[in-house]
This record gives sequence, structure tokens and C-alpha cells, in this order.
Amino acid sequence: MTVKQRCQIGGIALLLLSLIVFVRPALAHGYLIRAIPEDRAVLERPPARLQYWFSEILEPEFSSITVRDREGTTIAQGGISPENGALLTVRLPPGLPDGAYIVDMRIAFASDGHVTAQSSVFFVGTEVAGVEGTAANNLPEPLEILWRALSLSGIMLLFGTLTLYSGILIPAWGNRSYRAGLLPPRVMRRLYIILAGALIVAVIGSIVALLQQSMAFFNTDLSRVIEQNLWSVTRTSTRFGEVWNARTVLLGIVALMAGLSFYFRESQPETVRPFLSAAVWGMTLVIGTFSISSHAAGSLLWPWAAVFNDWLHALAVGFWAGGIGALVLLLPPALQPYQGEARRQALLAVMRRFSRWAVTCLILVISSGLYSASNWVYQPADMTQTAFGGALGIKLLLVAGLVAVGAAHHIALRPERYQRFAVISQRVAGFLPSLRLEALLIVVTLTSVGILSATPVPVPDFAEKTVATPTATQQVDDISVTLTLTPGGPGVNTYDIYVLQEGIPNDELDVRVQMVNPGRDWRGNWETAENASQGLYVTAGAEIDRVGMWWSLVDVTRADGTTQRVAFEWQIADEAAVLQSRPPSPVNVLALLGVIAALGWALYPSARRLYQKLDLSPAAVTVAVGAVIATIFFSILGFALVENQRLQYEAAINPAPTVVNVVLPDAQSIERGAALFTQHCIGWAGQPLRAMLERLPRTRDDAVYTVVAEGNTTLPACNLTLDAAQRWDIVNYLRTLQA
Amino acid sequence: MSVPVILAHGALGIWDEVIFLSLAAIFLVMMGISWFRSRAATPEDDIPAPDHATEPQSTDRFQLD
Repeated sequence: MTVKQRCQIGGIALLLLSLIVFVRPALAHGYLIRAIPEDRAVLERPPARLQYWFSEILEPEFSSITVRDREGTTIAQGGISPENGALLTVRLPPGLPDGAYIVDMRIAFASDGHVTAQSSVFFVGTEVAGVEGTAANNLPEPLEILWRALSLSGIMLLFGTLTLYSGILIPAWGNRSYRAGLLPPRVMRRLYIILAGALIVAVIGSIVALLQQSMAFFNTDLSRVIEQNLWSVTRTSTRFGEVWNARTVLLGIVALMAGLSFYFRESQPETVRPFLSAAVWGMTLVIGTFSISSHAAGSLLWPWAAVFNDWLHALAVGFWAGGIGALVLLLPPALQPYQGEARRQALLAVMRRFSRWAVTCLILVISSGLYSASNWVYQPADMTQTAFGGALGIKLLLVAGLVAVGAAHHIALRPERYQRFAVISQRVAGFLPSLRLEALLIVVTLTSVGILSATPVPVPDFAEKTVATPTATQQVDDISVTLTLTPGGPGVNTYDIYVLQEGIPNDELDVRVQMVNPGRDWRGNWETAENASQGLYVTAGAEIDRVGMWWSLVDVTRADGTTQRVAFEWQIADEAAVLQSRPPSPVNVLALLGVIAALGWALYPSARRLYQKLDLSPAAVTVAVGAVIATIFFSILGFALVENQRLQYEAAINPAPTVVNVVLPDAQSIERGAALFTQHCIGWAGQPLRAMLERLPRTRDDAVYTVVAEGNTTLPACNLTLDAAQRWDIVNYLRTLQA
Repeated sequence: MSVPVILAHGALGIWDEVIFLSLAAIFLVMMGISWFRSRAATPEDDIPAPDHATEPQSTDRFQLD
């Protein structure tokens, strides 16, 4: 081994070491987007429950929430809400004394399997000094860096080698006299060595991944993970395990293909190339499994677009970077017999083809990278003031260096076209040394990719914004009711009802609540609220499904059987909801268009070749155009019909009211209604009234109003001089009579 | 009939599964097609360009020995 070779090997080893040394512990990409109560909130009375919404779905088996007091005594434990996989919630026991409470959360994000711990505090009564929560504490897992480096290196090299063989080497160097793989045995031998090496590295990385993830999920050491088969639990009961299974099966298929290719190289040499060509498709899916478990899967903006974009990015990087790696390893044995001009011609045959593909891949890498950046960087300041922006900047600089080397190769391959850059052409004319430089630069760039993927993304504004939870208090006679909707936007809400009777919390009441959307004349079911002590009654529901005006009707029944009505009116706004998605910005749209344009440009040659093969006779064109138009027409027609049916069904179930109830059905309205009914609805008695009251649960307000105003076949109209508000008072009163 | 949840992200509900499984099916079919096409291809299809074959010194193509 020469001194130069030793230096090169040393350089590579140093760079690989830097991958381990400089990459920080992997941090989760999910984050807390809403907390009720907020950190350091001071509450007048103990809450019935705590709720923490995250930006991504959590692993139910490995995410937990524990509430303890200042002395460390555990108060309550909870977990993932059955209704919302991104909500960590815990019910608190009744009667919590005043003081400070610490909420410890252990959060395992499903998308990337990252486990973090953080805590928050709240106070009942008055704030207590010296009690602090902790920000997300990302558990350091150096093993994660190792498996990510091993898996990605192995898989990228596998993909790059297979695509290089099928797409570049065969067309450039193929020789039909070599039936087994169409390349000389010395090249095929090296090819199999690279494939075997990359496969072994990928499998080792995959095994380490499962072990490390099990350690993170169970918060334990390696020996216990192996002794108690905890890795098997991770494999079968988590999303990480599901993706791992899929990846392992696909990797197995690829290994089988490569193995069969090797096995039949002598007995059926013509199958060597088919097996290796087919394995390329398997590798694209293997790379896809990384994308569906990447942070792209947790994107708040078009998750599937983010996943596809990430996949496209990884495939382009795999072909480009993996291809260069494979090329550097394959060129020495391939060019061994050649010297001088023959060697140059052999090199040019490969490099010209690879250069064209590399340019295409580079454009795809840049466009998809820009889309990814636009997905996570919300404002220019994020580039300069966040760690993510800094890491992204370093990566862009390194990519710029790679582009420069690639451009030098491009120029050197076409000296006749770029005569004014003859100096550059001469410097990289040998290609192999500069290819090695490019391979080293790729390793450094991958290091920066590791840093970038281990850096938390900037948290968007809306996640940091404090949103007031709708709450209001009503006093009727001796009853005071405070109702709080949490979070208070469209979606699943909890209804916390705090009842005081003569200023004292009363736990002996029957409390029911009903949500009403007067604009649509829609009423939810009456829900009985469960008593949580100290005058607190709780229930939950998904009745509030849209913005606009809503009523909450609360009926409080005392021990003596008398019922008191309390009514609340809300203006429900989207801002109060816990956002599970975000609208695209113009930059997002532009970046996505850039990706689509780059993809179109990449596919253009194939599309053109297909076009040239087409039968463009008038009859064929007419049929094709007709078929396309018919397909588009019937597709649009189909969608329109389905949408129309949906709207018709919705209108049939709950048509727009002919007249809208504008009077809040509170105690005063009911009282007025009772008086008006007695005085003005003469003849409303006996069987006709009973029959109407029986139908009332199935009758909407507008229909009842019509009967009050105009009468029907069995009931006369109430006094015709009544105004609309008075009639609505009567309707509200009649509602209280329904069974 | 309920479709078993395999890889739900939650964004598109069950469509997550449909999209993923459809993609997997498409690529596995492409794998089969690729295998058969390569196997059925004659050496002339694999290495067409007869003009280049007679010109091994062409920079577009170099028949490796």
C-alpha cells in the first residue's frame, strides 16, 4: 500500500469518525402545540384533567404522563387519548389541595420513534417559587446515530450500485460475450462484493436500529432488551416495528434477488441481469420505508406530499451519492487492463452517461431539498436564528461544493463545448482522483445531513401562541355555573362545568349539557356530566364540528327535583382548535411546483421516447384524445355526482331552517315562554299537546315555531299578535317539557 | 369490511394504508415486469447501437473486455 493510499484511507476514516463525533444525539421532530393548563398556570381550583396536544401521533404503549406533587408523590397517571393519538391526557383525582404540581411527560413519537421527556408545572391557589418545569429533554442515543449511518450508507450504496449497473454500466460497457451480467467477470466479482458488503452493513444497521429503539422505548439497557426479548415487542407493537418489518422483508427480497443472480451466474447466466434489474425496484421501496418513518411523515402541511418529496430526495441522493461510491469502487478493476487512450475512452463512456443522470438527480435533490426546507422553515429569521437554519446552511454550502466538482466533471466531459474552461478540463481529466474527492465530499455532506436530521425543526408561531380557552360564568338564582370548553374549537372538546349553590360547591346535583348550533337548527344529545368533586362536573363530546355561533345549555337538577337552566352563547373560532395541519404559504406552493417541474424535466426524455414509439395515425390519435377527454369528463362527473349526493344527503338529514331561533334558551326566556304559553296558547292541552311533546325530540325548532305561529291540524296557533321573540320564548319553554 | 391498519399516519385515515399498499403493489409488479423484460431481451436489445459496436473507441460506448 502506497503512502498516498494510506493517506486516502486515513482521510476516509477521519471523515467517518466525524460522522459519529459531530452528529449530536438525535432529537425528536415533534413538539408540543397546545397545553391545558399552560406551563406555570395558576388555577383558582384544581382541574379535572390535564391535556397536552403534540404535533405528531404518539406511540400509545410508550408515551405516558404522570402528575406528582412537590414532594414527589404520584397523584395520577395517564396516557394517550383514545380519541386523539396526538393527545396526552390524565384525569386528576378530586380534592387536590392548593400547591404546586409537576407534570412529567414521556413522549414517544410514532413517526420517527424518537423518545423525549419534558415536564410542566401548574399551581392550584397561588404560585409557588422554586418549582420549574423542564423543556423537552431528548434522550441521548449515540446508537441511533450509528444505526442511521450504517443503514443509510448500506442502503444508498446498494441502490447506487444496482442503478449504476442497470442504467449506466450495461449501456456503456456491456459486452454480449459475457453472458453472466454482460460485464467481464472481474467487474461482476467486484459488483457482488460491493452488493454483499452494502447488504451486510444495511442489515447490521437494521438490527442495531431495532435494539436501540427497544432501549429507547423501554428506557433500559441492551442486555435487558435481549434477555427479555423486548426487541420483539417493539417489532410487533409499534409503528417503528411495522416499518422495520416492512423494510426487512423488502431488504430480504433484494438480497434474494442478488443471491439468485449470483447463484445462477454459471448455470443460467442470462438471469443475472434480470435479477439485478428487478432488485432496483425493491430498493426504491426500501428507501421509501425511511421516508414514511422520517419527520416528513409528521409534517403539518400535506404529509403525503412531504413523504413523497422525501422519498424522491432520497432516491436522487441514492443514485447520485451511491452511484459515485460504487463507481469509485468499480473503476479500478474495470479499467485495469487499459492504458492511455483506451482507458480514457472507457472512462468517458461511463462518465458521460453518469454525468447526465447526475445532473438530473442533482436538480431533483435541490428542488426536493428546497421543498423540505420550505416545509420546516417558516420565516427568514428561522434560517439565521435557529440551529436548524444553521445546519441547513452548512448542508447547502457542502452541496454547493459537490455541485462545483460535478460541474468540473461535466465540463471535462465536453471539452469541445467548454473550451474557455480548458484549465478545469485538464485538472480533472483523469476523473478517478476527482471522483474520489467527490466521494469524500459526499461523506462530509452526509455528516451534515446527519446533523440536520438530528436538529429540531423550528416551532411554528401557532404552537407558541397562547390561545384562550372559552369559559364563562352564569348566575341564576342561587346557582352559579362556570362552563369551560377545552380546547374550544371545532373537534373533540371537554366540557368542565363548575357549579356553586349559594357560593358553595355542590356535588349532589344532576348536571346535563346539550350543544346547539342554532344556525343549522341542530341539537346534540343531552350528555350527563360526571361529578369530579368540589362542584366540578365533566363530560366530553365532538358535537362542535364547525365555527360559528353555538349554544351550550346546562340543566342543573337539585336534590329536590327542581331544575335550573343555564345557557351560554359562544362564537367558536378555528384559532381555538388544536391545529393538526397548517395552510400552505406561497413559498410552499412555489417549492412544490419546483419539485413537479424538476420531476417533469427528469421524466421528459422517457416521455419523449414513449412519444416516438406511439402510433400517431389520425385514427389512433382520435381514439386516444377521445379516451382522455372521456376519462377526464367522467372523472369530474363522478366526483360532482358524489359530492352532490353528499350535499343532498346532508340537506335531507338536516335541511337549512326556514326560520332561525334567535333567542338564547336561558332561564329568563323559559320563564317568559311559560307565561306566554299559559296566556296565549289557548287550546294547547290534552292529547294533541301530549302528541306534540312526544314528537318534540324529533322535531326541529323551526317546525315548532311554525306550529306556534300558524297552528297545525290538531293545535291552533298561539295568539297571532305575538312577535317573533315571544314565539321563540314559547318554543324554548316547550323544549323543557319534552320527555 | 374493515381494512387492517398497518402504517396509518392519521392524516388521511385509511387512505394512508391504501396509498402505501398500492405503491408497494405497483413497485412489486414493476419488479416482476423488469425481471421478465430483462430476461426476454436478446443481447441485441441489451446492447443495441450496432454502429457503436463496430466502433469500440466511440466515447458514447466502450465494450469492456
